[in-house]
Amino acid sequence: MVSIPVSKKSEESLVKMVNIHKWFGKVHALKGVDFEAKHSEIVGLVGDNGAGKSTLIKVLSGFHLANEGEIYFEGKKVSITSSSEARRLGIETVYQEQALAPHMSISRNIFMGREPVRSLGFINKKVMNEESMEALESIELHLRSPDTLIAMLSGGERQGVAIARALHFKAKLVILDEPTIALSIKEAGQVLEFIKQLKKEEIAVVFITHNLYHVFPVAERFVILNRGETVADVKKEDTSIEKLSELIIKELSTGKAVSK
Amino acid sequence: MGYMPKFFSYRAANTLLVFVGLILFFSFFTPRHVFVDPRNITSLSKLMPDLGIVALGVGMLMICGEFDLSVSSVLPLCAFIFISLLKANISPFFALGIALGSGALLGFLNGIITVKGRIPSFITTLGTMMFWRGILYVGSHMWPIGLRAYLPSGSVFERIFVGKIGGVIPVQIVWFVAFGAVLGIILHLHKFGNWIYATGDNREAARAMGINTDRVKIICFMIVGVLCAFVGILQLLRMETFACTQGIGFELKAIAASVVGGTFLMGGIGSMMGIFLGAITIQILENGLILMRVPVFGISAFIGLAIILFVILNTYIEKRRAR
Repeated sequence: MVSIPVSKKSEESLVKMVNIHKWFGKVHALKGVDFEAKHSEIVGLVGDNGAGKSTLIKVLSGFHLANEGEIYFEGKKVSITSSSEARRLGIETVYQEQALAPHMSISRNIFMGREPVRSLGFINKKVMNEESMEALESIELHLRSPDTLIAMLSGGERQGVAIARALHFKAKLVILDEPTIALSIKEAGQVLEFIKQLKKEEIAVVFITHNLYHVFPVAERFVILNRGETVADVKKEDTSIEKLSELIIKELSTGKAVSK
Repeated sequence: MGYMPKFFSYRAANTLLVFVGLILFFSFFTPRHVFVDPRNITSLSKLMPDLGIVALGVGMLMICGEFDLSVSSVLPLCAFIFISLLKANISPFFALGIALGSGALLGFLNGIITVKGRIPSFITTLGTMMFWRGILYVGSHMWPIGLRAYLPSGSVFERIFVGKIGGVIPVQIVWFVAFGAVLGIILHLHKFGNWIYATGDNREAARAMGINTDRVKIICFMIVGVLCAFVGILQLLRMETFACTQGIGFELKAIAASVVGGTFLMGGIGSMMGIFLGAITIQILENGLILMRVPVFGISAFIGLAIILFVILNTYIEKRRAR
């Protein structure tokens, strides 16, 4: 048997969540959810508000601790108890409004909390600025100066800065929580281009949204959640945007789980 | 970028303009130009550092999104601790160390109560301001304590803090500039400064990026405490007396100085240069108006007006910057 390393790697699971349960008081938010992302795969995590998308991702990024279930990262069982633990594994989460400090410069945002320093903790501004520009260029985001304040950027550019930051710090998995929700059509398109660049860099992406039209062009697989349960896990070639939206609507009206 | 737009892109620029404007105005319009009289300048450079040094710390704390109203109680309390130690025959240098340490501890308490109790620092420090003031009044019986009985005139210790360099320049102003420079370097060039801005600008983002925002805030509170203790001793040495009314009114004046220097109440915006100039500006305003024979009790009307105008101006400039 001849092994082809690249394709084999892409078939391997990067992160696998098995039978995840999460309770908030009496609310059963996640009812035994399974979720998987392979190496350099773009997964669309779709569901209506309250379906459990955010809760699932907060478990993965260390904000919440699951009440039950296991998480495997690169084949090893892990327990992710904090966001710094998640980051140490290589899981970076980009939240819509919580990612950047608006009145700080681009480079200070990219290196926030991980500043390149010379002796005694003084910031090495030259390295910080150069590496910021490199990180932005690597996702084809061309901005004039690393000293520009985030507040002066468009929504799409801001997402780009946050994505470039994840890329620069060698993330293996980037979770994007509703990255297109507040953006114009043109800006949303720009964000989709950034996501494609991440795949080129062999980074897996989980794209969370309730807008199928944004996620469908870029994702390779779709996981649909409804009321805390996985109701579908399908590859793009096995489905269509109509079928998926039908699935979501159907689920909402009957409330019954249908396996793939 | 041309020179003018570039100049205005600095946050401290408008404070600097008003600062220079006020100096020119008072130089010309005070009776007999007494504002620029060497005696006035000398007394200003002796007095201004009191509020100025406190304001440097308070401004930095405001950038990370918190307030400290307790400065007006921490300051005299530390001065009281200092003079009580002198009374107990402890060397002034050692007493200074303990007083500064007490300031740090009081700041730490403000910080830990605020972040662990999850309450606004406005409330925490309002409480500690009243609490420590009460303790101080009981402890000191509100009696003034003369310094001369415990520290001979002209000692080395005294000259380090309230002497004159070359017989002309009061050392206090040098301390003020030095604190401004050190804190400015930390705020703008050190990674801790970056954490302060991040904490004040978007605390959630800072936390998500692994910055311990609670620790950042506590350290900023401690810096304020140490600076208050320092000023408490500075005042005590200058007046040669401990008075339990030292520092009263500083809590709001320090915030006013920071705001005039372009610091935002919500945090995340401000610069050390701005705070430094702001602290000087409001004191020059006060001094100049007194010299122009504006009734002393009416001065606060002008200061109040100045604060409001500054905030309007800063908000306007910030909007333009973001465009």
